[in-house]
Amino acid sequence: MAFHLLERDRNGAGELARAMSDAMDSVGHCERCRMLTESLLCPICESGSRDPSLLCVVETPADVVAVENSAGYSGRYFVLTGHLSPLDGIGPEELGLDQLEKLLDEEPIEEVIVATNPTVEGEATAHYVGELCRSRGLRASRIAHGVPVGGELEFVDGGTLSHALAGRQLMEPD
Amino acid sequence: MSLPARVTLEAAWILHRRPYRDSSEIIDLVTLGHGRISAVSRGSRSRRPKVPLEPFQPIHASWVGRGELVTLTGAEPRGPGLRVTGRRLLSMFYVNELLLRLTVKQDHQPDVFRLYENTIKGVASAPQEAVWLRNFESALLDALGYGLSLETDTDGCAVQADAYYRYYLEEGPQRVEDHGHGALTVSGGTLLAIKSGSYDNPEQLSQARHLLTAAMDLYLGGRPLKTRQVLNEMRSRSSRPRVLAK
Repeated sequence: MAFHLLERDRNGAGELARAMSDAMDSVGHCERCRMLTESLLCPICESGSRDPSLLCVVETPADVVAVENSAGYSGRYFVLTGHLSPLDGIGPEELGLDQLEKLLDEEPIEEVIVATNPTVEGEATAHYVGELCRSRGLRASRIAHGVPVGGELEFVDGGTLSHALAGRQLMEPD
Repeated sequence: MSLPARVTLEAAWILHRRPYRDSSEIIDLVTLGHGRISAVSRGSRSRRPKVPLEPFQPIHASWVGRGELVTLTGAEPRGPGLRVTGRRLLSMFYVNELLLRLTVKQDHQPDVFRLYENTIKGVASAPQEAVWLRNFESALLDALGYGLSLETDTDGCAVQADAYYRYYLEEGPQRVEDHGHGALTVSGGTLLAIKSGSYDNPEQLSQARHLLTAAMDLYLGGRPLKTRQVLNEMRSRSSRPRVLAK
């Protein structure tokens, strides 16, 4: 890429450099949800049309974009910017959990959807966020883990399959 | 002991992993035949491996190379993984950190591997999580040659369950009459409970925790355990009164 830009597209390289420099200067974290944004509040927090009673807790800004693009979710978010990783010394303070507690206390939230990754660190984080909700009498739910849509059971690993079996759902008649 | 260049399907548990370059990871493992090793797993963050390279999943690991950092060439599942959620996970991270900090790399100790395997299975599912942790700490110190003297006091007499002792870490328990204060004063019953691994009451467990923590701190070289700091921070948060009640 460096050779291509230097030899064939110096204008493009200049634009890219300016765009990166602008981004470094102007993009910060949303004061409410810690999503990346150029203003004090991100567009999702500013929007009046989101459901204020639903809060989805995710690990990274990229997770917000992933859920926004696909899941038809209408509530708001909180971005932890990581997960609990005690062996790396990453605890509640590094994840902005003070800020999350403030949101839980001050906003009309009824349900918190914990959408951390299905890793052991993600589970530990989910447990802790769940405790914060329970101590306030809020409903906390965890996203389901299972077989990918369009996938085949034969090729799914044992861990995922056992999660999928444990999280099975009753087949309700129409 | 030098490692052979290629090892195939060795029983192992992953203790910790951290990102390395764009798509790889550096993984710390404890293995049955080769002690604790560090391995690079190339590309495992971008393509999903057949078995998740995660702590608390029993695996058979294969690798090539000698020296400090080997290259992981494969991992196969070795039985069902431990399905753990919640608080017990944090205790299991603590067990992993103790093993990482107190054992030396490539030191062949099958006993430590079995101790680790039994402990995390116990902590994951059995009652009395704290007893499993104390037994692990005590057995790990024993296996590493730092075992506490629990049956004989510094005067050479047998430890009595109803007496009190001031514990000097590198010497042993010294019998005292006044047991009111002093950081490492424990009952003989506690010492015998650590030895036998079965505790009669919460008081003994609490004394054992203080004694074992002090003993481990001595061998941790002054660097505190990160998991313990995070756990303490979480505990102090959950007991903190909230300003705004909903």
